[in-house]
Amino acid sequence: MKHWKIGLLFLAAFLIQPSLLNLISIHGYTPNLILCLTILTTFLYEREMFGVIYGTAFGILYDIMYSNVVGPMPISLLLVALGIVIIREYTNIENIINLWAVSIGSILAYYFLNWGLHHLAGNPVGFRFVFNSVPWIGLYSLAVITLLYWLMFRLPARRAKYRYNRYIR
Amino acid sequence: MKWIREHKLISCLLALLLALILIFVLSAGNQKNNTVTGSVHKAMSYVSRPFTAVTRTVRDTVSGIFSYRSLQKQVEQLTAEKEDLQRQLAQASLKKSELEELRELSALLNYDYTEENFEVVTADVTSFDGSNWTNIFTIDRGTEAGIRAGNVVISGDGLIGKVSQAGEGWAKVVSIIDDGNKVSFMLARDKKLLGIVEGNQQAKITGYMMKGNAAVVEGDIIITSGMGTYPAGLEIGTIKTVTYNSDTLLKEITVEPATDFRSLKKVSVIL
Repeated sequence: MKHWKIGLLFLAAFLIQPSLLNLISIHGYTPNLILCLTILTTFLYEREMFGVIYGTAFGILYDIMYSNVVGPMPISLLLVALGIVIIREYTNIENIINLWAVSIGSILAYYFLNWGLHHLAGNPVGFRFVFNSVPWIGLYSLAVITLLYWLMFRLPARRAKYRYNRYIR
Repeated sequence: MKWIREHKLISCLLALLLALILIFVLSAGNQKNNTVTGSVHKAMSYVSRPFTAVTRTVRDTVSGIFSYRSLQKQVEQLTAEKEDLQRQLAQASLKKSELEELRELSALLNYDYTEENFEVVTADVTSFDGSNWTNIFTIDRGTEAGIRAGNVVISGDGLIGKVSQAGEGWAKVVSIIDDGNKVSFMLARDKKLLGIVEGNQQAKITGYMMKGNAAVVEGDIIITSGMGTYPAGLEIGTIKTVTYNSDTLLKEITVEPATDFRSLKKVSVIL
C-alpha cells in the first residue's frame, strides 16, 4: 500500500475517533483506531516504517487536541511500533493468529505505557480503573484490526496474480 | 559518530524518542497553551467540525426514532414543570418588589452590597476525547469570546469542570473528575452541612463531610459552596452512598454526577 493511502487512513481514524466512533460505542467503550492502524501497518509493512511514522505523528496531534499533556500517546505508540518491528522478524505475517497475539500484547503494552505517562503527569485515574476497561477496548480493537487485516491484506492478496504482489500495491 | 553513521535508522528513532520525551517533560511541567498547539487546535477544529455535525445529526435522528416513548414522557414532565415554573414566576415577581425595597433600605444605611454577576458564554461541544477513560472535550468558542484557562464550565444539569486551555475559536474543557482538584460543597437542603469532593482513581466523585455527625443521607443533592474557584449554587450531583470512616471519624460519600459528560451538546462558560 502506498504512503499517502496509509496517511489518509490515519487521518480518517484521527477525525472519526472523537466524533463518529462514539455512535458505535459499546457500554461507552470505543476501539482505539490510531492504535489499531499503528499495530496493523507496522506488522504488515516492514521496510517503510509506516506505523512508526504515522502513529507517532497522529499521536502528537491527538494529544495536542484531546489531552492535557503532549507525549503519552506518541511515546506509547512509538515504543509499541518498535516492539512490533522486532517481533515481526520472528513471525509469519500471513497467519492471523500471530497478528492477534501481537495485537493483544501491543494493546496491553500501549495502555500500560499510556497510563504510566499520564500518571507521571499527574492524572488521577487509577491503574485498576484503566485495566478494567482494557479487555473491552482490546476486544473491540481486535475486531477492528481483524477487519482491516482482511481488507488491507487478504483481499488484495486474493486479487493479486502473484501472492507477493501485495507488497508493491 | 561512527556508530550513528552505521546505524542511521536506530539513531533517528532514538532521536525521535528523546525529542518526544523532552516534549512530554516540558508539556507536563507547563500545561498551558502555546503558539504551536494553538495553531494545530484551531486548524483541526475547523477540519473536525463537519464530522461532529454529522455525528450529532445521526445521533439525534437515530435516538429520536428509538426513544419515542421516553420523549413522550419527557414532554409530559416538561409541561408539568412549565406550569410549576409559571407559578413560581408569579411568586417571584411579588418578592421582587420586596427586594427593591430592601435595596433602597441598604442604600439609605450605606450598606456595602455586592452582587455576583457572571457573564456567561454558550458554546457547542465539537469533539470528545476518545481515550475511553477521561472526560476531556473541545468547545467551539475561545479567547475571542473572552474564555480563558480556569473558567468554570456548566451545563443545564449542573457543574462540568474547568477550561484547561483556550485559543481563538476553541477551548479544551476538563471535567471535575479529571481535574484533580478538590471542590468544596454544601448540601442543597441544608447549606450549613459542608464537605469536599474530588475525582478518584476509579473516575468517580468521592469525598467527605466536614463534620463527622453531619446528617447526610443517600439521595441528597450537593451544590458548590462558593469557596475556591467555583461559584456557589452549582449542582455537582446526588449522593449515592454514605459510609462512616472510623479512622478519620468522618462520613465519606460517593456522588453520581449531575451531568452525563459523554452526552453533552451545549455548555456554558462562566467568564
